[in-house]
Amino acid sequence: MEATAKSHFTGKEEHAPAKPSFAFWRPTAKTGLMSWLTTVDHKKIGFLYGSFALFFFLVGGCEALLIRLQLIVPNNTLLTAPQYNTMFTMHGTTMIFLAVMPLGAAFFNFIMPLQIGARDVAFPRLNAFSLWTFVAGAIILNVGWFLPDGAPDAGWFGYAPLTSKLYNPTHATDFWILGLQLLGVASIAAALNFIVTIINLRAPGMTMMRLPVFTWMTLITSFLIILSFPAITIALVEVMFDRQFGTNFFEVSNGGMPILWQHLFWIFGHPEVYILILPAMGIVSEILPTFARKPLFGYPIVVFSGASIGFLGFTVWSHHMFTTGMGTVATAAFSLATMTIAVPTGVKIFNWIGTLWGGHLKMRTPMMFALGFIWMFMIGGFSGVMHSAAPADAQQQDSYFVVAHFHYVLIGGSIFALLGGIHYWFPLMFGRRVSEFWGKLSFWVIFIGFNVTFFPMHFLGLNGMPRRTFTYDGNMGWNVGNMIATIGALILGTGIAIYFAVIIYTYLKGEKAGRDTWDARTLEWSVPTNPPPEYNFAVIPTVHARDAFWYEKHHQSEIEQEKAAQHQAEAAHGGIHMPFQSIYPLVASIGALIGAFGAIYHNLIVALIGGSLLFIGIYLWSLEGAEGYHLHPDEDGHDDAPAPKH
Amino acid sequence: MRLTSLLPTLARRGRILLALGGLALLTGCNLDFWTMKGHQSTIAVDGPVAKSQLDVFLVTCWVTLVIFLIVGSVLAYATYKFRARSEADEQAVPPEQGHGNPLIELGLIGASVLALVIIAVPTLKSITYTHDVPVEEKANAYEVNALAYQWWFKFEYPAEPIAGSGQLVSANELVIPAGRPVHINLRGMDVIHSFWVPKLAGKVDMIPNRGNFLWLKADAPGYYWGQCAEYCGDSHAVMRFRVIALGPKDFNNWLNAQTSPAREVAKVASTGQPKAQFAAYRSDWKRNEAGWSAQFELNPFESWKAHQEPDPKHEDAALIAQGRALFQSKTCFTCHVVRGHMVGGSGAYPDLTHVGARTTIAGGLLENNAAQLARWISHPDVVKPGNKMYVNGYLANNIKLTPDDVSALVAYLSSLK
Repeated sequence: MEATAKSHFTGKEEHAPAKPSFAFWRPTAKTGLMSWLTTVDHKKIGFLYGSFALFFFLVGGCEALLIRLQLIVPNNTLLTAPQYNTMFTMHGTTMIFLAVMPLGAAFFNFIMPLQIGARDVAFPRLNAFSLWTFVAGAIILNVGWFLPDGAPDAGWFGYAPLTSKLYNPTHATDFWILGLQLLGVASIAAALNFIVTIINLRAPGMTMMRLPVFTWMTLITSFLIILSFPAITIALVEVMFDRQFGTNFFEVSNGGMPILWQHLFWIFGHPEVYILILPAMGIVSEILPTFARKPLFGYPIVVFSGASIGFLGFTVWSHHMFTTGMGTVATAAFSLATMTIAVPTGVKIFNWIGTLWGGHLKMRTPMMFALGFIWMFMIGGFSGVMHSAAPADAQQQDSYFVVAHFHYVLIGGSIFALLGGIHYWFPLMFGRRVSEFWGKLSFWVIFIGFNVTFFPMHFLGLNGMPRRTFTYDGNMGWNVGNMIATIGALILGTGIAIYFAVIIYTYLKGEKAGRDTWDARTLEWSVPTNPPPEYNFAVIPTVHARDAFWYEKHHQSEIEQEKAAQHQAEAAHGGIHMPFQSIYPLVASIGALIGAFGAIYHNLIVALIGGSLLFIGIYLWSLEGAEGYHLHPDEDGHDDAPAPKH
Repeated sequence: MRLTSLLPTLARRGRILLALGGLALLTGCNLDFWTMKGHQSTIAVDGPVAKSQLDVFLVTCWVTLVIFLIVGSVLAYATYKFRARSEADEQAVPPEQGHGNPLIELGLIGASVLALVIIAVPTLKSITYTHDVPVEEKANAYEVNALAYQWWFKFEYPAEPIAGSGQLVSANELVIPAGRPVHINLRGMDVIHSFWVPKLAGKVDMIPNRGNFLWLKADAPGYYWGQCAEYCGDSHAVMRFRVIALGPKDFNNWLNAQTSPAREVAKVASTGQPKAQFAAYRSDWKRNEAGWSAQFELNPFESWKAHQEPDPKHEDAALIAQGRALFQSKTCFTCHVVRGHMVGGSGAYPDLTHVGARTTIAGGLLENNAAQLARWISHPDVVKPGNKMYVNGYLANNIKLTPDDVSALVAYLSSLK
């Protein structure tokens, strides 16, 4: 306790730590592989989250293209039935857990601390542990591609008893179970970190009702994660016990109840939907005011509706189960509860339009994605209202109508906003800006491809085409719709390819961007350089208004005086304290990875090795202490000669 | 200046128009897609349950469409009206920094709630109506059980007892009386499946250890397509079934035929008519190749009726007898019941007593004709990946069928009207 306090608050000279032993070796590399593996910097971790997420986004996209190519004509033979089933299982799992969620986490990591005027998240090493555990989970989920057992193929929802040993004897389902379990650990650890950060590390004056909306959505999403993931954790433990130790949670012949899985899964699964969409809503709520050059319309109501969506999200899980024969009362209750969610969601759309109203709309690429988001999310929302009505859902559930609905919400919603967010924050993250022409071109190709792919699916679903089917006959009236959808998917794929090519080109050779590229309103743009220095703010800002940076720009003399005073105070405290890097989060995650393999193959020795490594990693990580070193930049972020370490 | 900034916009819109035009051309040739009148349409429905569900859907559709048009117009107008028209416009003094208007916001919340009430009322009515047979029709309801296995459906008729073997049992084709409510008890026997005949009723899941049910009514006699709607493993996509609704007289005739034991083919002398060339079936079926014929598609209901009648002219009694012997020697009978012909079979596999009178085989996947039967029994694993007949039958018992075996078995099975 004392050591920690010292390292944070003593002056630069006086504290000379005891010579570190081998076990407490602290890596110091600032470049190269080691610097990435041991980093505790929220921006580097955010970048890594984003890179992994985009990689898996491409993997999931390729799986989607194979699915569409299989369905381009009736009775096609491109994929076999088991291959197709693996594709849609992995497409769903990958996109949800390995693409959209970590892409959200990338923004939480990179942007949120900057938005609240913090120098890092509350627990930097826990943050690194979340990242590497996420990578471990991703490896386990996908390792089946390279093993004889194959990748998981029981659906991303893994309904019991299809996941039982009897119907899925290979380890494919075990990869899915343990992979999701590790991803859950990663998500919960990260979410707790974000909550503590937002509650405790806000800059002076940053009251809760001055938080940027993206930070608010980060907070709400994090609460959803810590409240919903335990449900799936329990469910996964139960199915793992059924498979590994012969318990009978879902084993029908011994009185197990398959329906239990569905309840546990959807108590997680429905909040999960909001875990995917709320960050997107947050991003859009940042982009629109910036490019309309006026504050968000009805900020308190936007925040409150976000919170109500999160809250109501826990009361509607059984609308995924309208066809399971719940009886009239439960069906009616969940129907009505689901309809009420349309109110806060609609409110957000009204407020976004209110934000545009009377603004000076700068039609830049991020704005295009944000507007595309509103349109597509509206369509997805309306089809959502359609199947909140249980009788209509009895026809639509598990048909292509639902496939159309949630892709409108998840691509037209989440992905559009996340892609727009990349464009929006790209100058901040990398100091370069994406060409407007190529950015808009990729937007339009994606927008058209997306609609050509998914709009016809509404018709296919109403015409009775069930989802998760590897083939269909040519006499059902589905041929044209499927042909159009596949052509659309190829257009969408082209758009995504353009998007990525442009992003990579810009990263390497793009036009340099100055500070505050878009004349933005929130604190992340007030950092001294693009990309931000490792300490983020030379001087911790003091917040006077909701759009803090906008206020700063319009009250410059006042702010300058304040900053000078603040700078002196910080210098008197010994400068900016930076935490050391650490190898132990990575060690602990590798332990978790090995342990999971032990559990999958029912091998006690491997499980013990992994468990010990996890234990040792966490133990040494606690013992090595926070420690750190100090930096002394001037007010504008120009480094004085950096102070020596310690 | 204005013109130059307009050009890219025009070019952009032009591209969209071009894309939309191309799409219209592409789809114009086939209206089926837009009218949604396929075999599994939820729009062109033929029963009161599906009708009630459709009505709710249409209410939600109209309400949301109206809202979409209003909100969409405002959004489009705001985007158009307030967009910056030039670089200078972008750099101009920022607009008024307004933070919102509580009255407008509360008003819009009120309006959304009102719109939802319009949807909620018919929803609640329909939830009650579609749940179970209405009280006043209960006495007239016909009861059947539907049981789902990987990957086929078994139908039981508790109202039709059969001496010695319980009740009438059929597979993959559910025959019901038209114009009468039918109460169907649903049960999944291995994993979760779902019973869906879109033109008659929305789906209800068939879950192990859970007694579910649904009701439906066919307005008129007809032939309806159904399909499993819950992912249930490898061959989920090809787990299909049919529902055939018959008038009272036809239904009774059908029951009489079905409750009788399997048909015996008399060993009469050949009438001189040419026999079907069973040995000459094609063997080059592609995986997933469609198993129905255009002729069948012309009038499926008539085709079903035709299947009920034996066709002695084209039958070869000797071949059928040979097939019947093979059915026994190749151990088919250990799983499949052929009531009256041999003792054996289990309730967990399709009853074949009257298989010849069905229009489909292999779980509603293939048309029931000699060619498809031959395809199915020679390569069940290709037709239906992972199916139990192949894994637990052919592989476990090392069953090999020669082309002659196949033709004899096909002749025998086809004779089971």
